[in-house]
Amino acid sequence: MTVPSGPASAEVPAVRCRSLGVSFGTVQALHDISLDLAAGRIHALVGQNGAGKTTLANVLGGLQAPDNGTVCIAGNQIPSGDVRAAKSAGLAMVHQHFSLPPSFTVAEALELTAARPESHSVYRRTELYRRWQNDVAEVGGTNVLATRIRDLPVETRQSLEIVRALASEARILLLDEPTALLTPAATDTLFERLRGLRDDGVTILIVLHKLREVAAVADTVSVLRDGKLVLGPSEISGVSQGQLSDAIVGPAPDTDRAIAVEAATDVEQQLLLELVRVSSRESAFEPGLASIDLTVEAREIVGIAGVEGNGQRSLVSVIAGLSAVTEGSVLLGGEEVTRAPPARRRLRGLRLVPFDRNSEGISRSAPLWLNQSALRLIGRRGQFPLISLRQYKRQASEAMDLWRVRYNTVAQPAESLSGGNVQRLVLSRELASGLEVLVAAQPTRGLDFSATNFVRSSLRGLRDAGAGVLLVSSDLDELFELSDRLLVMYGGGIVARFNAPFDRQAVGDAMTGALR
Amino acid sequence: MTGGLQRAASTVLLVVVSFLLTALILWVSGYRVGTVLSGIIQGSITATGAATSTIRWTIPLLLIGLGVVIGFRAGFFNIGGQGQFYVGACSALVVSLGWREGPVPLVIMCGMIAAILAGMAWSLLPGYLRVQFGTDEVLTTLMMSFIGALVLQYLTAGPLRNPSGTGQTAASERIPEAFRITDSSGVSVTALLLVGGVAVLVWLLLERTRFGLTMTLVGRNPTMARWQGIDVRRVGLGTFALSGALSGLAGAVELYGPGARLVTGFSPEVGFTAVVVALVGMLSVWGTVVAAVFFGGLQSAILFLPIVTDLPPPALVLLHGMVAFLVTIKFRAVRRRRGGLAAKPVAG
Ligand SMILES: Nc1ncnc2c1ncn2[C@@H]1O[C@H](COP(=O)(O)OP(=O)(O)OP(=O)(O)O)[C@@H](O)[C@H]1O
Ligand SMILES: [Mg+2]
Repeated sequence: MTVPSGPASAEVPAVRCRSLGVSFGTVQALHDISLDLAAGRIHALVGQNGAGKTTLANVLGGLQAPDNGTVCIAGNQIPSGDVRAAKSAGLAMVHQHFSLPPSFTVAEALELTAARPESHSVYRRTELYRRWQNDVAEVGGTNVLATRIRDLPVETRQSLEIVRALASEARILLLDEPTALLTPAATDTLFERLRGLRDDGVTILIVLHKLREVAAVADTVSVLRDGKLVLGPSEISGVSQGQLSDAIVGPAPDTDRAIAVEAATDVEQQLLLELVRVSSRESAFEPGLASIDLTVEAREIVGIAGVEGNGQRSLVSVIAGLSAVTEGSVLLGGEEVTRAPPARRRLRGLRLVPFDRNSEGISRSAPLWLNQSALRLIGRRGQFPLISLRQYKRQASEAMDLWRVRYNTVAQPAESLSGGNVQRLVLSRELASGLEVLVAAQPTRGLDFSATNFVRSSLRGLRDAGAGVLLVSSDLDELFELSDRLLVMYGGGIVARFNAPFDRQAVGDAMTGALR
Repeated sequence: MTGGLQRAASTVLLVVVSFLLTALILWVSGYRVGTVLSGIIQGSITATGAATSTIRWTIPLLLIGLGVVIGFRAGFFNIGGQGQFYVGACSALVVSLGWREGPVPLVIMCGMIAAILAGMAWSLLPGYLRVQFGTDEVLTTLMMSFIGALVLQYLTAGPLRNPSGTGQTAASERIPEAFRITDSSGVSVTALLLVGGVAVLVWLLLERTRFGLTMTLVGRNPTMARWQGIDVRRVGLGTFALSGALSGLAGAVELYGPGARLVTGFSPEVGFTAVVVALVGMLSVWGTVVAAVFFGGLQSAILFLPIVTDLPPPALVLLHGMVAFLVTIKFRAVRRRRGGLAAKPVAG
């Protein structure tokens, strides 16, 4: 037996935790977790929505004080819940919810959180821009430096969080679902950089949902289920996909019953959504719509493919009634709604899953039941003014149970839900009765795989019940699997239309503008 | 509901700390703290007429404070209650003096409606600027409050001045005795029923109507509200209107109740104290009722204290200020954590 020769020895794990426990009220988010992460490797952490992945990352990063247990970084114990100690021990995090200050410009935010800020406390803007321009070059060009964080699209914010963590020169990186908002190409780039960092000796813990990505990047994998560590860390080569998904789902897998949504479709009406030569003004990060023609009929799913930032956001917000149309007309169920307010469209059966679930989809500080009941508040003029809260709450909890949202009470604020459960909350509200047309932007983003399947079968169920679905997604597999027709957006226009079966090569070419 | 209890406890603690700090300052400046404290208790509860006086001050504080609560629900900080209160009182006065011979209930009714409309108008202008251009309503409601005070001064010193009046401060004529709903104590069953009814209505509006829930959503996340089809501008304007209406009504109650005439700069602090009342009441309706009684008692004590000590009245205003200061710090901390309410236009 050889005795390890001190804390610098290779046997000392980069991160070691012992019997960690965290509970929120009656929810046991983490239960007796003991885990060693070997230095200089990429460790994947997987598990269902609400399994405790974010909580574990937060405890390791010192953001959340555990109820019991200890965390050691490179052999030294970190005082419980001490962010600064964790940081100075060389640890950096990329959060699932963004942490950069929204009112700062990108350059200011990066400087603020930098590992080694410029020594003087007064700075010049041009200097700041020069200092950070290389880091943001691939995120949206250097002109992004002067933009305020809150004005950035979620995808860019996510990339910035990653830039910030990579620029911090940390020895240990914790990344919580960093790929959720990235395009496949950007994901590949990220993985490439992570491998490079690993080869330089950096230890990485990455939370992922897609097993394909786990296989692509990780050296070891660990599985959390209901707050317990049920597998790992095990060498990725020693675990089969089947074992992994069994560990994630557990002995009693969710039986995927697709929800039965009575689509309120008028059988006579075939054309549910129609855009005729619609143009709109460009926004900060997107071209406006350029004379778009688009129809969604009853009983079909129309997919919208395209590289992020080619007008998909403009399209969704024009249909929602939140951006003005400069030319052309929008029809819902045969009725012209080009200038109609959002409420009118909602009442005509339009349902929306917005891009940014945390700011557009929910109110983080409002209770769950109010978030869930939001659609019942509009267009009820002339009805008895007093309402029964008990009824609202009961119906909200029924809808959330149907979607298996994990929550304690309907009164808890929406921000206490895990990332994937927030998405389920949004879906439980939008994919309910009264739906005629659904515009779904990235509906499976951040969901674990059983929930992803659940959403996909629900979308098919909606279609079969007579509704029309416009599906905006950056996941080509998802689009190919679900769409009856596929449109490709490029530069604010629709440059190609495909019918199933789809030709991956042709769609890919259209997305890069090769067909122009 | 342990969270609610905890928040209530921490608010009570803040008030106690404010008391202690004020006592400390008084002690350091050489006053006898014991005498002052017993004076406060006498002046708000035990002395003859003290309890009535407490209720008399509770009434305007509660009405205006509820207006502040309504504004906050939708995310707006209407601190111009004082001016809305003044223009409300002025409008009621104009109606009452202009129609002295009218049937009593009708005149009172019209006076109150006029007061409500005036309060609304005073609040809607900042409200419009806020929802349309994103102008910070804290500034505009405050400015409008000064204008309201000047309107009162102009009327009482000019067109409505009591010609036979003497003394230095300008005052209006008295309204006919028949129009009054209380005697000069400012408390009567009618007044209490009116205020109690308003409190219940506000509670129902905020907690049990769709509009109330809509206001909550708009206050917490206007972007999400817009995606849900809520007309954020209309909700904003409605909120400002209701908020101002309550302050205006408080002005009418003051005139038909204890006032009977208007004096330049009467009740100079109620509008601002009411903001503190709403904050101490944790922006809930019943919390605000409790806080209004508490501050009503303090107001009453401030007027009583000179009788028992040589303490100048402003010394107790110090206590108000202290509570306001601490509560605001606590409130800002909570708001910062929630990350809400940056002044932005609620573009629609
Ligand atoms: N502040 C909080 N208050 C109450 N419950 C909480 C809070 N934070 C997390 N939880 C609960 O703890 C559990 C674990 O949450 P966590 O965010 O760690 O899940 P996750 O594995 O990251 O899920 P996802 O894949 O959806 O992001 C969930 O049931 C969640 O509802
Ligand atoms: Mg998470």
